[in-house]
Amino acid sequence: MIEIEGLSKCFGDLTAVNDISLSVPRGEFFVILGPNAAGKTTTIKVMAGLMRPTKGSVHICGYNIELDPLDARKRMAYLPDFPFLYDKLTPSEFFRFTGQLFGMAESDIKNESEYLSDRFSLGEFLSKPIESLSHGTKQRVAIVSALMHAPEVFVLDEPMVGLDPHHARVLKDILRERADQGMTVFVSTHQLSVAEEMADRIGIMNQGRIVAVGSHSELQAANRDSKLESIFLSLTTEADG
Amino acid sequence: MDDLKHISHWRLLFKVNQIQNWRRLKLAVLSSRLHAFLMGLFVVGYAWLAFELFRKGLQFTSSFPGLGPVLIERMIFLLFAFLFFLLLLSNVIINFTNLFRNRETHFLLTLPVSHQVIYRWKIFESGVLASWAFLFLIAPLVIAYGKTYNASWNFYFVTPVFVGLFVVLPGVFGSWVALFLARWLDRLAFQVAAMFVVILVIVFISSWLQPEVVTDEMLETRVLDVVDRLLARTQFSLFPFLPSYWVSSGLTQWIEGAVMGAFFFGLVLLSHTLFFGYLAATRSGGFFFSSLSAVNSRGRKASLWSFLHNKKSGRSAFEPKFLDRLAKLFWWSKSDSRALIVKDTLTFWRDTTQWGQSLVLLGLLVAYIMNLRYFSHRLTSDFWIDLTSYLNLGACALNLATLTTRFVFPQISLEGKRIWIIGMAPLGMRRTLMTKFLFSTVVSMIVTMALVGASCMMLSVTVGRIIYFTVAIGVMSFTLNALALGLGALYPNFREENPSKIVSGFGGTLCLVLSFLYIVGMVSLMAVTSFWAFGGSSSLVFGIGCLVFLFVSFFLGWMPLRKGIRRMTTLEV
Repeated sequence: MIEIEGLSKCFGDLTAVNDISLSVPRGEFFVILGPNAAGKTTTIKVMAGLMRPTKGSVHICGYNIELDPLDARKRMAYLPDFPFLYDKLTPSEFFRFTGQLFGMAESDIKNESEYLSDRFSLGEFLSKPIESLSHGTKQRVAIVSALMHAPEVFVLDEPMVGLDPHHARVLKDILRERADQGMTVFVSTHQLSVAEEMADRIGIMNQGRIVAVGSHSELQAANRDSKLESIFLSLTTEADG
Repeated sequence: MDDLKHISHWRLLFKVNQIQNWRRLKLAVLSSRLHAFLMGLFVVGYAWLAFELFRKGLQFTSSFPGLGPVLIERMIFLLFAFLFFLLLLSNVIINFTNLFRNRETHFLLTLPVSHQVIYRWKIFESGVLASWAFLFLIAPLVIAYGKTYNASWNFYFVTPVFVGLFVVLPGVFGSWVALFLARWLDRLAFQVAAMFVVILVIVFISSWLQPEVVTDEMLETRVLDVVDRLLARTQFSLFPFLPSYWVSSGLTQWIEGAVMGAFFFGLVLLSHTLFFGYLAATRSGGFFFSSLSAVNSRGRKASLWSFLHNKKSGRSAFEPKFLDRLAKLFWWSKSDSRALIVKDTLTFWRDTTQWGQSLVLLGLLVAYIMNLRYFSHRLTSDFWIDLTSYLNLGACALNLATLTTRFVFPQISLEGKRIWIIGMAPLGMRRTLMTKFLFSTVVSMIVTMALVGASCMMLSVTVGRIIYFTVAIGVMSFTLNALALGLGALYPNFREENPSKIVSGFGGTLCLVLSFLYIVGMVSLMAVTSFWAFGGSSSLVFGIGCLVFLFVSFFLGWMPLRKGIRRMTTLEV
């Protein structure tokens, strides 16, 4: 579903992502971890088609994001850490708008937005202007709009920021359910607990490279350590030194 | 999926933004009826006043036998030529922000919307934003032109069609220039290039506008020859490949009843609009994404322009830079105040949009002052020298008011969500405001006092009057800065990050209106009570005039500043 081959991204003389290759199959919940400035967000932005790679390629559901961006983006959803929403629209108007952009039928827009709004307790906010909503509620609106068209690949950058524990749980449950149904989930986070609890596989990035990848147990075995925190710290500080 | 139907993405974007803008307008009207009323009054007032003034001016000009129609026709060509260049500049600036610094653009890029549709939507949006105000400003003149020549009713229907086709071209060209700049120039390179272009334009204007030697005898016997020589300077507006030439020719020929000629120029305009519009609408999306990717991928040291950049890194990055060293020269001031000034200067310098706009304003002012040099040669009577010197003071003050409203008023709002940083610092809100006030006042005093002094010298007024005008603009700098900063603190908008949008709120409008009324009132007062000018008044009247000027200036500056300080010290961050 996600194929990253020899991806590099340079900003002037700074190499933010350095020749990474990664394959995330259909239905996998993949969590990418890394210290600040490790290159996670840059990788995600290239995957979302926001910038061209300096070298290498990214394929989403078999489509090259650079050469066939429309076919790739039809099949994916991207949730940035601070999502853009039209402030003067209401959540229901925003859902309708994004649904139409994805070419969804009116009945599907209605059914999906109702179902997901219920899951995220958005009912009372559906007719209020988005600008009047709290940060966490806006985040829930963005998540619903991203999930509505049933993407085959869902890329999330720090999705738990601003969510209360209840809705963080709802998001985790939905992501797990969708992954079990075949959606590929690619999450970047600093919350190690999310990786421990949810991930089928975990990738650790440092200084633009993937320094480790595998399931939680594989990482434990390879590093002879039971705690993800100490594995993470040893891998990211070793490389720094 | 039975009710699935394809909806054009462009139409969807249009609809959503239409709803957004309509609700924004409704909210603005409902949240402040006074603001809406003032804006409405200004719109109607400007349209009426401008129409009346243009009509009278055109009627006066047309009354010159033989010369009138020639002058008016050239004026129409000049109007559209300048409109073309202004629209081009405006489109470059707005397209740059809208295509590369806009969150909606980045959001749309992650959705299944093609780069071409995003680009098409953004240049449409930018074109409307860049053009509406210019069209509103020139509309009374075009209507007055039609009235002067008793144009038939269809002129008023044909004109919007011509102008509508015309504005597409600077919109398209402006967006292409923005794509080019974004693709190849980083911030510092752009700043250097912009400075270079402004200096080049000033040098060109100063060499272009050379005085014409005209004797009284020539004016009496060879008027047409003199007019011809003067009009030669405006010949550029008749360049047949300028789109403004086609629209001007079309309209003037329509007025003259040469319908086929007007039709021809209409078709020339239409064919170019369709050709370039088609290229922009269907072939520029790829280039747009390349430029956007280049902007997003630009490092602090872009390789192409690396020679312009500071190579410091690591520990040496903490060493004091030029501004820090410069600030240390003001050893008597406190270090926290100096830090605030350095921060404000760096923020301003690194915000190319703000920086670019102030450069354009200052460039215009310098070009204006350089023109005065030649203008003063034609002034022989005392009355005209007096009148020009007061108008010059008014013009410089109005320019200053534009700068204070545009750049000083949004200062507090621009602190935005970061206001807690200075709010929690021992510096305190009171000193923060006073530091910002003193800094902006000193900077604007240096610039405007130098400009007024230079312009007075070019008008060849006496030393006493040079000092008088220079002190007057100094006092006005104090008032206009205090008014802008005070109102900015009284009506802050911490949610908006775009200074243009902050200024367009109620506080910004009030600031501009009060500044304008203050300048008109005070310049008129100074002229009426002048000791020297217009026949001269007694020392007593002159003294009273000066006292009233000082009192009003102090009151209008200090009151809002004091209230602003109070508001900020009790602000709950």
